[in-house]
Amino acid sequence: MEDISLQAKIDVLSEEQVLIQDSAVAFIARDPELKQVRANRFVQPGFDRGLWREIADAGWLGFLVPEDEGGVGLGFADLSLVLIQLGKGLVPVPFVATAVLAARTLTRADDAALRAELLPRLIGGDWLPALAWQEARASLDPTAREVVCTNGRLHGTKCFVPDAGGADAFIVSAAEAGGTALYLVERDAPGVTLAFEQRVDGGFFAEIRFADTPVGKQLVAPERGAAVLAAALDEARFAVSAELLGVMTRALEISVDYLKQRVQFDKPIGSFQALQHKAVDLFIQSEVSRSVVLQTAALFDGDADAERRAVAASQVKARCSDAALKIGKDAIQLHGGIGYTDEANIGLYLKKAMVLGAWLGSASAHRARYAELTLGGAQ
Amino acid sequence: MNQSIDYNALDDDAFRRLVHDWMVANYPEELRFPPERMHWEQCGRWYLKLAEKGWLAPGWPREYGGMGLDANKLLIFMDVCESHGVGRTPDQGMTMVGPLLIQHGSAEQKAYYLPRILAGEHIWCQGYSEPGAGSDLASLRTSAVRDGDHYVVNGHKIWTTLAMDANMIFMLVRTQNTGKKQEGITFLLVPLDTPGITVRPIINLGMHDEFAEVFFDDVRVPVANVVGGENNGWTIAKALLGHERIFIGSPKFATLAMYRLQSLARAVGLFDDPLFVSRYTALKLDVEDLGAAYRRFVAVLKRGGHIGAEVSMLKIWNTETQQRITELMLEAAGESAGIWGGVATADGPVRPAGEFIGSRPTTIYGGSNEVQRNILAKAALGLPG
Ligand SMILES: Cc1cc2nc3c(=O)[nH]c(=O)nc-3n(C[C@H](O)[C@H](O)[C@H](O)COP(=O)(O)OP(=O)(O)OC[C@H]3O[C@@H](n4cnc5c(N)ncnc54)[C@H](O)[C@@H]3O)c2cc1C
Repeated sequence: MEDISLQAKIDVLSEEQVLIQDSAVAFIARDPELKQVRANRFVQPGFDRGLWREIADAGWLGFLVPEDEGGVGLGFADLSLVLIQLGKGLVPVPFVATAVLAARTLTRADDAALRAELLPRLIGGDWLPALAWQEARASLDPTAREVVCTNGRLHGTKCFVPDAGGADAFIVSAAEAGGTALYLVERDAPGVTLAFEQRVDGGFFAEIRFADTPVGKQLVAPERGAAVLAAALDEARFAVSAELLGVMTRALEISVDYLKQRVQFDKPIGSFQALQHKAVDLFIQSEVSRSVVLQTAALFDGDADAERRAVAASQVKARCSDAALKIGKDAIQLHGGIGYTDEANIGLYLKKAMVLGAWLGSASAHRARYAELTLGGAQ
Repeated sequence: MNQSIDYNALDDDAFRRLVHDWMVANYPEELRFPPERMHWEQCGRWYLKLAEKGWLAPGWPREYGGMGLDANKLLIFMDVCESHGVGRTPDQGMTMVGPLLIQHGSAEQKAYYLPRILAGEHIWCQGYSEPGAGSDLASLRTSAVRDGDHYVVNGHKIWTTLAMDANMIFMLVRTQNTGKKQEGITFLLVPLDTPGITVRPIINLGMHDEFAEVFFDDVRVPVANVVGGENNGWTIAKALLGHERIFIGSPKFATLAMYRLQSLARAVGLFDDPLFVSRYTALKLDVEDLGAAYRRFVAVLKRGGHIGAEVSMLKIWNTETQQRITELMLEAAGESAGIWGGVATADGPVRPAGEFIGSRPTTIYGGSNEVQRNILAKAALGLPG
């Protein structure tokens, strides 16, 4: 499929980045018909463990883990090149949930020995932890309130935990004296119950209930827990935005291709100006999104200030969630009847945009947060 | 067939109460706000109950067994149904074939087919589109070749809504290959149990088998099943499209979506948010104002007048409003926008993802909105091209 993005025309990549991108492009090129996506839909755990291992072998799981902790020690710009391709290929793995959200929580764990024990297992692909932080629909708040830890026992419910059915352990935030602490909880610990909701993209969200569940090791003390989570969440918001960029880019490529192939009234429908204008509007959406992803990657790679990162994360998540949904739904329109079938792959992109657009905060939630964080001066 | 009751004589409130009370008493609770188009096995009994009551065809004239409602009463009828979550039945006999036959059918065809629609004996589907003939419908290739007092039909229809539930199909076939494409098309009524017909369901984006492909392999159809004469199908179909577009231009679906949005917003507490209230109200007025436009067009029909291509404006407004309503539902649902199950509300579960996906094709079928805009540009504005 022809790459219609402006990247090759106007952006510069380092030699190393070209290699990263090429290997990610090659990785998704193996499944052009999205057979793996379809094979894993609506069956637990909703992702492919074999693919996960291959991704581990490619080294991508350790991108954001420092070299001295056993990782690759690369940056967000580098990672985004992989994420864009995973988005384009709709690769059914919990990359952002595990290799960004959970991994970046673990890289901030208090105890170096614990980090040294857990991170290599995650990076190697043998151990998949799922982070359970959220306690209410549409909440962006990293402070735990509902799930409480008393005397080493957890009580309460977490929601919208992605792909938890295949997790080997949970990282759970819990309220206790002094703030929000983070604990490791074994997958089969007593008192843990999972209730699954089928997502439209074929994966699952879990609601996880803890009833007198003994916690494992403490990863982060209550004084730092909320801040650690907030930082990891903003990094994950950036990462999922890059994935959404891949989703929207490929949806547009497929649609443009279709406009050239499909003939009605003895002409390719791409010759009709109404459709040309629509396609161009979508192209602009995707390139503005790409610009914001690039800008945010640079900021994350160069600036550790939590507030500036939060503003940038909300900006990029709002843009990419919005643009991916717009492109996804207009792509259906451009396809006509065939676009409204399960058989056609274009619909899979719309569904992925629906899921990722809402996860970790929708466009409107992030616009509201952006306003909260930035309007102070303006008022 | 003649219905004796003149509902238009009732005052609006009395009529609303009458319809509401009957719906509440008779519509099956478990079918309220169905998440997708219902199949016959789910709603057949309800269809027959409506038929028995004489309420299957609110818009048809009373002399043909309809309720003969004027535009105002039609809107009230619709609003009551949508607020109660009365699901749509396989209704193409009522919305399409019936009105067409009333206008263009022979006396025998009216006498034979109309009562069978009203009795629920004939369930119709629409066989126009083909893989190569969607927006460019006139390029259709399914052929009907005359053989004595039969036609022999061969070809392939697609996107046929609820074909698996229907026992009759009204279709466009090619009876002539010379001259303008539009001039060689014939309108044909075909029983689906005729040998040589195969129906293959297609799964839609909502994971539901709502439409199908229909294959015709040497299917013999009596010549008497032609409506409006051989090679007149295009004219007939255009007249029918008028009915289809006024139906999909009615505020019915947007009204339903609005009720669902309301239930959802109550459940998640969004009516406390002034920004939401403003957006909700804008959409509400988009639907209300559509009602005003719809009344104006239906009044033309009731006066016996002719509605031209202008009616496309209703379809564009209605479908795009409905889509915006479901988009706001997605926004209101947070992460639940990405699951099939949706959100529990006082009026039962609301499934924003299903509503959003289900509203996508309204801008594709019945003549895509792009094509409607092309038509309006020429027919209403007289633009060249
Ligand atoms: C849910 C659903 C139910 C349906 N039910 C039925 C049914 O019961 N019976 C039946 O016969 N058909 C049915 N259809 C088919 C429907 O009528 C066609 O999908 C529609 O006519 C569009 O044709 P197409 O799908 O081939 O798309 P195409 O015609 O290929 O259109 C693809 C895109 O090109 C655009 N386009 C095409 N021509 C132009 C132009 N000149 N200018 C600008 N843009 C243009 C379209 O707007 C669309 O965006 C149904 C479709 C759907 C989705």
